[in-house]
Amino acid sequence: MFNARITLPPQAKPGEIVEIKVLVRHPMDRGGQSDGRGGTVPRKILNRMTATYAGAEIFRIDMNTGVAANPFVSFMTRAIETGDILFEWREDGGATYTRTARLTVA
Amino acid sequence: MTGALRLPALLLALLALTGLAWAGDVVSGSTFLSPELRRQQDDPSRNPAWFWVDQGTELFVRKPAGGEACLGCHGDPVATLRGAATRYPQVDAASSKLLNLEGRIEQCRVERQHEPAFGYESPELLALTAYVASLSRGLPMSVRTDGPARPFYDAGKAFFERRQGQLNLSCQQCHDGLVGQKLRGDTISNGAGTGYPAYRLEWNTVGSLHRRLRACALGVRATQFDYGSPEYLALELYLAARAKGLPVETPALRR
Amino acid sequence: MSFPISPRSRRSDGPSRRQVVAGAASGLALAALAPVAARAETLVDFVRRVTDGVAPVEGGVKLEIPALVENGNSVDVHVAIESPMTEASYVRWIHLIAEKNPFPDMARLHLSPRAGRAEVATTLRLAQSQTVAAVVAHSDGRYAIATAPVVVTLSACIDGG
Repeated sequence: MFNARITLPPQAKPGEIVEIKVLVRHPMDRGGQSDGRGGTVPRKILNRMTATYAGAEIFRIDMNTGVAANPFVSFMTRAIETGDILFEWREDGGATYTRTARLTVA
Repeated sequence: MTGALRLPALLLALLALTGLAWAGDVVSGSTFLSPELRRQQDDPSRNPAWFWVDQGTELFVRKPAGGEACLGCHGDPVATLRGAATRYPQVDAASSKLLNLEGRIEQCRVERQHEPAFGYESPELLALTAYVASLSRGLPMSVRTDGPARPFYDAGKAFFERRQGQLNLSCQQCHDGLVGQKLRGDTISNGAGTGYPAYRLEWNTVGSLHRRLRACALGVRATQFDYGSPEYLALELYLAARAKGLPVETPALRR
Repeated sequence: MSFPISPRSRRSDGPSRRQVVAGAASGLALAALAPVAARAETLVDFVRRVTDGVAPVEGGVKLEIPALVENGNSVDVHVAIESPMTEASYVRWIHLIAEKNPFPDMARLHLSPRAGRAEVATTLRLAQSQTVAAVVAHSDGRYAIATAPVVVTLSACIDGG
């Protein structure tokens, strides 16, 4: 069951560079194991995460099987205005997940 | 060596052979984590184990078809269940069985919520157990070993001290005698178990203490007992008694 | 620099072509390289593939990864690049390569001037002791690289997952 913990500073000044930390619950199954029926378990990982804020995509990570299970990623962004950062994940097979986190800029 | 020194030296050699070297105080498994893993464990924005606690928080308030939600009987868990995990395993007065936290939750689920048991290692039982245990974080372990608990404690102690498996090792030899030494990439701990259910890197998920005990058994090529077996319950009581006074650390991060 | 590494294991049972194609069809921006039975490609080849043959320079990239990890399932990596991160000059992406993983291309992190600072971190899965590389693409067409060796040890109590 997908879940995400997004950690932002409680507040930022305009123009300040802040760290965005994202922890996600996902097995990131690299597949390849025997499925007991002569085949192999297919790969099922989150293959992309994007973050959109103040009108633009501020970060994107394309992930392969080398990313750990329940992965962590952190990146920086300039605080521009109070608003939601929209996080979207895409999973092998097409399922998508979203979360938002509010960045307060004052 | 002079005669005066010979006897103590002989005694030391005998002690070392039997693996009963000085135990020192039992310390938490967190002591044996690398600084990086220790930081990760203590950072809620980094420790994946909290996802299972989050899931447990949701399950606690979810009303099942057959009865009340946990919340319905227990009320605010922060108030009513804080400290509960420090007293498990314990003997259930009604059935005289030894119950660990998982066992108590399953008993409530079956007998009071009229729902089928979740089953050991199910995501739901792991989540609820991790949640309830996390409510006791920082509180010292304090299980009863007297009265009806005494036979279980004695059985657990005997298990801990008994040599087992193809490698003919007892828990005590490593977890009392060789604490701090290396076993492949691992540093041997006291086996305190105060952080379970814990997220283990080896598993890429949260797992129960019994799962960890089964992994130990495989390591020494000994019989792996069942999840929730009387052997592991008794051992769990003995380990909890050994860890008396150590703070609950659930949900911990381990290798 | 020398460091103890386990012998390179030849993966003759790599993922099927169907799995590789399925992975590519899900829109991966990375080149999903199928590991061949006797892999002759080295780190240099993997790097060249992402830089289109351009040789990256060493410098301006700080790659932090533990020299020894007790479990390859989750390895912290942190990359910081000296860059003004302005429209005139910024880091476009950071590509992480593990030379001995079944799929050496691990992740690509895309930035823009909105980042303010070129600094990222993530957790990787390493199959064995090996060199990890961070290849950086700058907006002016330059490439930079930093590498680090990692020793991956085994846990004592493996229960088969």
